Amino acid sequence: MRAAFAVIAALALAFLALPVVAIFLRVSPATLVRELGDPVARDALVVSLRTSALAQLLVVVLGTPTAYLLATRRFRGRSMALTLVELPLVLPPAVAGIGLLAAFGRSGLLSTSLAFTQSAVVLAVAFVAAPFYVRTAVAAFEGVDAALVDAARTLGARPWRVFARIALPLAASGLGAGLALSFARGLGEFGATIMFAGSLQRVTQTLPLAIYAEFAQSFDVALAIGALLVAFSFTLLLAVKWLRSDWISPSRFAPSVSG
Amino acid sequence: MSLLAVFAAASLTAVFPGIDRAPRFQFGGSDQLAFQIRQGAPADVFASASPKYVQQLHARGLCSKPKVFATNTLVLIVPRANPAHIRSVYDLRRRGIKLVVGAPGVPIGDYTRTLLTRLHLRSALSNVVSDETDVKLVVAKVALGEADAGFVYRTDVKPAGKRVIQFELPVRAQPTVKYELCVPTKRKHPQLAARFVREVLSKRGRAALKAAGFGLP
Repeated sequence: MRAAFAVIAALALAFLALPVVAIFLRVSPATLVRELGDPVARDALVVSLRTSALAQLLVVVLGTPTAYLLATRRFRGRSMALTLVELPLVLPPAVAGIGLLAAFGRSGLLSTSLAFTQSAVVLAVAFVAAPFYVRTAVAAFEGVDAALVDAARTLGARPWRVFARIALPLAASGLGAGLALSFARGLGEFGATIMFAGSLQRVTQTLPLAIYAEFAQSFDVALAIGALLVAFSFTLLLAVKWLRSDWISPSRFAPSVSG
Repeated sequence: MSLLAVFAAASLTAVFPGIDRAPRFQFGGSDQLAFQIRQGAPADVFASASPKYVQQLHARGLCSKPKVFATNTLVLIVPRANPAHIRSVYDLRRRGIKLVVGAPGVPIGDYTRTLLTRLHLRSALSNVVSDETDVKLVVAKVALGEADAGFVYRTDVKPAGKRVIQFELPVRAQPTVKYELCVPTKRKHPQLAARFVREVLSKRGRAALKAAGFGLP
């Protein structure tokens, strides 16, 4: 049985690895590097990094207090709120796209003029990526040793101080892992962006949109951008693994009082 | 259910099923369809909004000799509410107008750029807020009211209904928009494919194209 499982596992891994490996084998590494110098690729990288940075800032600033509240309070509608937070995880990006248009489009509910701007990209990225951060952050805050929080309270620490001096530092590596996941998901955002923000070089054309724009025109440039995104994603996942092991293993910051 | 797969330019979306509704249609940007065919996509007929892509496939021996079957012209469309108060194509020079066009390399995108060059209106391209990958996406963004204006084919206006208003463009600036189709080689149903091509070129096919607003070669 063990041999059979090993064969199946090998097949499964090969299936998952093959498309990724193929990106790097189709053309020489020198070509990949050269094609990354293409203006389309360079501009898309700048747009992606800029919009991702802003979107993640938004996610952290709004997501951290939200996650803390969800992790530490029990209130009516909490599970509803958690479900709402998780919804974009399973929502098809195309639905996110029409939803954002219906809400923020010129003829939408709020009738803003955000469509086709870089802000539209930021909103699309934040919408699809936020759940990855908030979910992980809720788990990280829930993992903070309650005894430490109680001790701080008994010693007279105000709620803000408990949050800033106890919860935040203890949850830090969990929050970092969540941010890395959210960042990775945000970099790959495609469907909601192309519908809500359109695709224009130097303005709204992110790396995935550039792949789509280029694949029929210049396959090598599309491949090079693909390779870059694989490298980004791989690095971010490694960061998550590293941060998670730090967060799950008995923490060096929090020797359990009760244990 | 026919076994035939017809890959056709997005601008043919409304007219081809009326000529023959049996085939499985895939509509999209002609450049993307041509790319898919080069990669081995199972297309039995390819109808392109520009001779460029069928001719390239033919030159590589990937499809039969192309035949011209329709022509088209470009118009400017704006949302019915006309939020930018556009009255002619020359208003597109005004700063802050949200113009949506086809991407370079996509037939409608290349035709739009030719047209603007001939009108000495290249400066309008600085108002472009999105390069779309096929003409139907340009129509959608204008019809939704998100964009102020877009260049599309005359034949795209009727399917968009009352949501858009069209502006005629000077005849002298019109690019030559020719639709050509060909039969990709090494497919299983060359007879069925040839029959579909004949249908498009037939009196009935021409009548359907004409009724949809296409010109005839």
